[in-house]
Amino acid sequence: MLDRVRRDVERNALRARNGIKLVAGVDRPGVGQTPKDVVWQRGRTQLWHYRNENVRYGPPLLIVFSLISRSYILDLTPGNSFVEQLLEAGFDVYLLDWGEPDERDAANGLEDYVDDYIPAGIDRVLELSGADEVTLFGYCFGGDLTLLYAAHHLDAPLRSLTVLATPVDFRHMGPLADVFAVGGMEVDSVLGDDGNVPPSVVVQGFRTLKPTAEVSRYVTLWDKLWHDEYVASYQAMTGWSDDHVPFPGEAARQTVRMLVRENGMLNDRLTVGGDRVSLRDIRVPFLTVRAERDHIVPPEATAPLIDLVGSPDKHELSLAAGHMGLVVGRTAARTTVPTILDFLRRRSDELVTDAAKEA
Amino acid sequence: MSDAPLWRQAFDKAERAVAPRAESLVRTPGFSLGAALVRRAQTLARGSARDVTARAWHLLNLPAGSDVTRLRGQIGALDREIRRLGLQLEAERRAARSPDRPPIPPSTEDSHADGAQSADRARPRPPRRRAQRPAGT
Repeated sequence: MLDRVRRDVERNALRARNGIKLVAGVDRPGVGQTPKDVVWQRGRTQLWHYRNENVRYGPPLLIVFSLISRSYILDLTPGNSFVEQLLEAGFDVYLLDWGEPDERDAANGLEDYVDDYIPAGIDRVLELSGADEVTLFGYCFGGDLTLLYAAHHLDAPLRSLTVLATPVDFRHMGPLADVFAVGGMEVDSVLGDDGNVPPSVVVQGFRTLKPTAEVSRYVTLWDKLWHDEYVASYQAMTGWSDDHVPFPGEAARQTVRMLVRENGMLNDRLTVGGDRVSLRDIRVPFLTVRAERDHIVPPEATAPLIDLVGSPDKHELSLAAGHMGLVVGRTAARTTVPTILDFLRRRSDELVTDAAKEA
Repeated sequence: MSDAPLWRQAFDKAERAVAPRAESLVRTPGFSLGAALVRRAQTLARGSARDVTARAWHLLNLPAGSDVTRLRGQIGALDREIRRLGLQLEAERRAARSPDRPPIPPSTEDSHADGAQSADRARPRPPRRRAQRPAGT
């Protein structure tokens, strides 16, 4: 009894300390810390090259991120970073980050990303690395962009394509898509003054998916506020999940029209820049990674992808993880990342390093 | 027996009862229709208020917020056009540097101008129906 009282007193003291830290916003964990260089920039879009002295595999790996969230989830904190693990495994990693769109990006359509930015990013990677191919990697909606790119650019210099938590059947995207497909809401009614879908609308949309999650989150926080490690991870993870960027207006209109209302990926009704494209035309080695407990992109929304892509060498990995759990946390470190690395290694060339040459 | 305090156990029990119902509710067509209607009403109200204030500012021969928004949109579209031109130019330069590119036939300045396209027109089409690199090669 006495031990329990003592433990509760200690925990309450720690809660008070961590609570003050949280409210004051001090001692925030540093995110996106892996050293990198900006090697190309156009508008808000930047191509990042992560520094790696020990590149053992080629061709270089280019990550294409989603349009509505910030890319630091892939490089969350030192020791809990997907990018860090790719670098340690010997890959030369680049990331195409879309930045924070403003009124200058309101007219950006999907073709701007698929036909302009991704090809330009790939060209720059090839130029810098001297390689003649890249390994392409798409996360969440970035996966949809890479699928459209691969389907529209059939001579693309791709060694392989890997997509993570990438939705193709938008009927299962929940209220986020239903308000447009079933409710008949128009994208124009949610646009901000800058012509883009404001981050607050995106965050609200995600919160609607699990209406009680917000309350549970604070209750769990109170329960574990004494635990320093939990608080640090809470700050990093919830910081990211609340930290969205505006969705360019025209790209949002096209997404709702083509992907949500027509369910174009599933029904083979895709157009990019006026051309009909089909996922069946994608022939490069392909891996899709799905999360079984994903409430943002439910498994039903990602399941049909493996059958839609025409690659003879295609694989699916289904993991008992959530949306973020695919790239951060213990499940990611134990299962997702090693499996992805194994897929990538088998489709990469081992480079002869200077040290190996000397030996 | 669970280690969690009693208040937490009570909360978890309540959450387990409420969460599935709340999640089913937000997935009903009624919820989607309701959300769309509320948003439409908000847009309508905001639009009406904006029209009234714009008229007031225009009476004084001053620009309203909606004029500034329109201008921002126009500048944004212009910026995008320039960006796309820049990207196309960059791609052309890279292609010109590429050793396997066929030599460009000599032509006059006029013939170059004939082929000029506005950045807003369709991009040059990527090659179609060419098999991608087969697996394992």
